[in-house]
Amino acid sequence: MKFFLCSAVSLSFLASAVIAQDRTLTISVYSFGKDAMDEAVFSPFEEVCGCDVVIETGRSVERMAKIEANAADPVIDVAVMSAQDALSLARQDLLSPMEFAKISSHADLYESAQDPLGNQTALGYGFYATSIVYRSDLVQIDSWADLLSDDLKGRVALPNITGTQGPLTLEMISKALGHEGADYAATIDAIGAQADEIVTFYNRSSELAQLMMQEEVIAAPVGRFAWSRFSGADLPFAWAEPAEGQTGGMNVIVMTKDNGNEDLSYQFIDYWLSTKVQTRVAEAGLDSPANSKVIVSDEAAARLTYGADLINSLKMLDPAAIIDNREAWVDRWNEKVVN
Amino acid sequence: MFQNRKEGLALALPAAIFTALLFLLPVGMLLSEGFKVDGLWSMQGYIDFATKPLNQTVFLRTLKLGFLVVLVSAIIGYACAFCIVNLEGRHRGRVFGLIVLPLMISPVARTYAWIVILGRTGIVNDTITGLGLSETPIRILFTETAVFIGLLQLFLPLMIISLVSAMENLPNDVIPAARVLGASWFKVFTKIILPLTKDGLVIGGTLVFTGSLTAYITPAILGGSKVLMLETLLYQRVNVANDFVSAGIIATILIIMSFGANVLLKRIATARD
Repeated sequence: MKFFLCSAVSLSFLASAVIAQDRTLTISVYSFGKDAMDEAVFSPFEEVCGCDVVIETGRSVERMAKIEANAADPVIDVAVMSAQDALSLARQDLLSPMEFAKISSHADLYESAQDPLGNQTALGYGFYATSIVYRSDLVQIDSWADLLSDDLKGRVALPNITGTQGPLTLEMISKALGHEGADYAATIDAIGAQADEIVTFYNRSSELAQLMMQEEVIAAPVGRFAWSRFSGADLPFAWAEPAEGQTGGMNVIVMTKDNGNEDLSYQFIDYWLSTKVQTRVAEAGLDSPANSKVIVSDEAAARLTYGADLINSLKMLDPAAIIDNREAWVDRWNEKVVN
Repeated sequence: MFQNRKEGLALALPAAIFTALLFLLPVGMLLSEGFKVDGLWSMQGYIDFATKPLNQTVFLRTLKLGFLVVLVSAIIGYACAFCIVNLEGRHRGRVFGLIVLPLMISPVARTYAWIVILGRTGIVNDTITGLGLSETPIRILFTETAVFIGLLQLFLPLMIISLVSAMENLPNDVIPAARVLGASWFKVFTKIILPLTKDGLVIGGTLVFTGSLTAYITPAILGGSKVLMLETLLYQRVNVANDFVSAGIIATILIIMSFGANVLLKRIATARD
């Protein structure tokens, strides 16, 4: 009898171990702050779900290519990306529509994050504002048009058109200059006419930070997520509040279609979007919260895109407009600006 | 060493299969995409690529900078190599060590150093404004000049090493003999040193040119998006546009340019015989 009992117990342990091994969730995320995200989100979730979480990182294009290449048998269950990248995947029918009823924190999200693509394939998990960072001892920025003013000739950097910040900058300079049209043709031409006077078209915020530290550049548009690189410096950097307002964007969380791991995916998405986890992530300065119930310290709030007033005032671009016009923007940019 | 040729081939076979399967085949598949349009073989991709003004500018810039770096590194390289081979053994080792030292430092670190040196508040601009040559700092960063300086610094050691090896094989008495017979230094160089060190020049030139064509870090950091080169354009096509077809076309062009430079340098060298 004893022998059978011991066998049963050891078998049950073995079975539970096998089940635990089977419960694996693969998440594709940005590589920014991976260790801190691991501490704030992924490891605690492993304890909650009793499962293994596998993290995949890389550039957006690589991560999207992986989802496309494995469409028949997805190797990624959940992914976070920009709203336009998510829409691009949704148009290829690679994302699973979500049942929002299964996500208890859904109602707590800001309205714009509750169904940003309009087809239930994505949920916003973080916002970022984009404005102009500048040297307050050398220049005053009141408008996006100041970036092309004579006073700043030879001292401005702009984001490259191929990055996320590029189209946002075009949108706001267009507003400031009174240019109309989604093709931004007049604005690209205006930048092209001054291309020699623009120090560079940067690709990464880290690159910009170095140029501003060594006074090569004294004003440039940048995402709020990079503000900590400047706010902690010895030099007097300021965050502009231009007359035309601030622009920004939203990152979203998506679930791949037919991944066979839907229950765990829902559990993770609900966990990440919960007030508790979003607060923890925001306090760590990793992402600005999309959950409207999150309350953070003043110190953390200063680093983030935080608060209903600010988030509701952001002039965000329509993801569909970005996808539909991106190629034309890049072609004109290559012709008029970098050629 | 082997009983017959078959035994030798059999030993080489595993490595050949490994290389063919894991290198040649994937590279071939990737590059072949540039020769297809809608699944059919076509040169249209190359025609479209060649007719875009941006691609033409980038191609000519890459070619120009590659040849300029080879030319200037050859001029500086001959002067350095001549000095090094004429030093005493102990000093020669030390100087040669200094030449080789930068090759042991990451290109990223070396290139980032140029950002500080060439910047508005860097040593170059401080000197220029200090000497009164210009009232305001000159923009050097993110220009072709910056990329040229970065590439030259990156690959000059390879040219010097190649030329030092070639010059060490020069007979000791040929240069003094030519001088005694009244040859000018220019004639000594063109009639004696250059013909006898042509192999070193071809090797160094090929290494420098190929390196300049394929270096990514230096053009990306010192040129940025304003001074696109073929290698930075290739990166942009893959990582931003996910366009592997254009990237394959650029890679093919870079490979052809590398082989072309080698053939051209060999031709120049043999033409002097």
